[in-house]
Amino acid sequence: MAAHTDNLLRYRPWRGKPHGPLYASVAMARVSLLLMVRRRLLWGLFALGLLVFFFFFYAQYLVVWITNQLATETVRFAGIPVTIGNLTKFFDRLALNGTAHTFGNFIWYQGYVLVILLALAGSVLVGNDFFHGSLPFYLSKPIGRWHYVLGKCLAIGVFVNLLVTLPAIGLWVEAGVLYDWQTYYLDNFDLLLGILGYGLVLTITLSLLVVATAVWVRRAVPMVMIWMGLFVFLRMLGDQLGREVDPRWRLIDLWNSLYLCGLSCLGAEHVTIRPTPQPEYWEAWMMVGTVCGVCLLYLRRRVQAVEIVS
Amino acid sequence: MTSDQHPMFSVSPSGTAPSVVARPAGAAANQHSLHIPHHSSEPLLLFEQVSKWYGSVLALNQVTLSLTGGITGLVGANGAGKSTLLRMANGQLKPTLGRVSVHGIDTWDWRARRLVGYCPDIDAFYEDLSGRRFVWVMARLCGYTRTESTRRTEAVLERVGMRDRADRKLRGYSKGMRQRVKLAQALLHDPELLILDEPLSGIDPIGRQELLEVFQSLAAQGKCLLISSHELEALEKLTNHVAIMARGRIAAVGTLPQIRELLDDHPLSVRIDVDRPRDLARLLLAVPEVLSVDIGKAPEPIGLVVKARHPKQFFQTFSRLVVEHQLEVRRLEPLDESVHDILGYLLGGSGKT
Repeated sequence: MAAHTDNLLRYRPWRGKPHGPLYASVAMARVSLLLMVRRRLLWGLFALGLLVFFFFFYAQYLVVWITNQLATETVRFAGIPVTIGNLTKFFDRLALNGTAHTFGNFIWYQGYVLVILLALAGSVLVGNDFFHGSLPFYLSKPIGRWHYVLGKCLAIGVFVNLLVTLPAIGLWVEAGVLYDWQTYYLDNFDLLLGILGYGLVLTITLSLLVVATAVWVRRAVPMVMIWMGLFVFLRMLGDQLGREVDPRWRLIDLWNSLYLCGLSCLGAEHVTIRPTPQPEYWEAWMMVGTVCGVCLLYLRRRVQAVEIVS
Repeated sequence: MTSDQHPMFSVSPSGTAPSVVARPAGAAANQHSLHIPHHSSEPLLLFEQVSKWYGSVLALNQVTLSLTGGITGLVGANGAGKSTLLRMANGQLKPTLGRVSVHGIDTWDWRARRLVGYCPDIDAFYEDLSGRRFVWVMARLCGYTRTESTRRTEAVLERVGMRDRADRKLRGYSKGMRQRVKLAQALLHDPELLILDEPLSGIDPIGRQELLEVFQSLAAQGKCLLISSHELEALEKLTNHVAIMARGRIAAVGTLPQIRELLDDHPLSVRIDVDRPRDLARLLLAVPEVLSVDIGKAPEPIGLVVKARHPKQFFQTFSRLVVEHQLEVRRLEPLDESVHDILGYLLGGSGKT
């Protein structure tokens, strides 16, 4: 083979051995990211995600600073004296104190941006391959169909972690600096692992869901509609039914189920979760596992049958 | 073009022509079946009783075909099953029945694609990428390191004449440039089998000639090329070894003279320019294989158009007559031995594809 290569391509002998298809999956993820970063809309969404991060970042700093420096002082609003500590009450909902709920809440709010971004990314990363017919170029190379799926999932995983896990780790680091860093980092190392676990759950679930829905509907608009249905309509429905009928109805809100799985990774007490009532952790895990399983089954069916018919 | 002019004959390392063995299915196909021995015991590409259904439509019908080297043209009318066959050879499609393998590896398995380069008929690229970047990405998908990918990219771009134009975005490429980029990405991993689906479509005459030379040089290096094309004249320049498809079957496979010889129902027309045409006409009319002889009209009656059955026997007899009667043959030209004519005879109608 080497001799042929030299004749054909006219360069010095290459003594290396081509990497396996897993390497190709990484290469595919890289080119997928390259395609994504060329889209301005996605940069806009990244900027929005960054804003959410900075809000949490500075709010966490502000709460600590106010608590430490001005907690005993009062200021006057319209002539009414207000304790400085009370001014930070509206931050209480976000629990900006370096606990499990801080990171859980951050990821919860970041999810709004993430869902929109992934809905748009799905059609670019996967849908276009099917819709415009560029799949034959990929599948004519020495990779399997599952390697193609893996490459796309890796690309989506990078987005998820860039937008969610990395900033959450940043908040954890900041919390350590704001408090007693030696004690905080040692005592809350499990929170770091929890953040990584939450990120992993999001990466696996969302990447499978994006690829599966993109393979199904292919184009951007239907993709956005389906994701809005999943993450907006089902959330409203789950919230309503969860309050009035049975808390298990909240399981149909996938983002809430992922949130519960994340809090379980972060080691948060179940009773501290808001809004109440909420289904049990194990039920949320079952739900997320089921979604992943359904996506895998669907992808298996589609991937085995991926045939390039123009 | 006679069989000894076939490019494959001149480039075959073993000096033997044959590259294809086919056992067409069905009665009609059996009539034209050829069995040509090949120089390798193991076929490179092997179709074994392959059928493919699209819903209720039968695209391929029990196709058995094996390729071992050289250039083979795949021709047939639209919807004959050419693209389906090529996609199966590349593992893009899975047969409903039967098996397709490359060196014994099922083409549906990704390992087989290390041996196969595929140039599809579609040209849906990522339009935002430059040609160079696209080919480089494809090299990475082949498993090469960054450095090796760059070197191979430059080499194949030069090979297809795109090195100096490869930095433009794909959306600005002409049809011909797209064809070249597609060919470049198919050559990246130096495949043993190269499958080209309409590679000459949209390419200008000069570019076409360049690509034909590339194909010939690849065959000369021992590659096996399977080329589907509607450009029959261009295909004939490249090879006279063809597989003809009709209604999902291999209707015939072999060199053009071999296939032509099997078409007994259609007498061969030969134009002969000779010094004594009337003498030759008289002699030929006595030959049992000759059906008719037309002599060219005055004032220069120097040409004959002869219709004859069983071309092989006819040419043997003709040669004997020429020697015995010391005739001076200035020109001998089969009039209906082109791919186009043969396709017309096999498929009925004009043979237009």
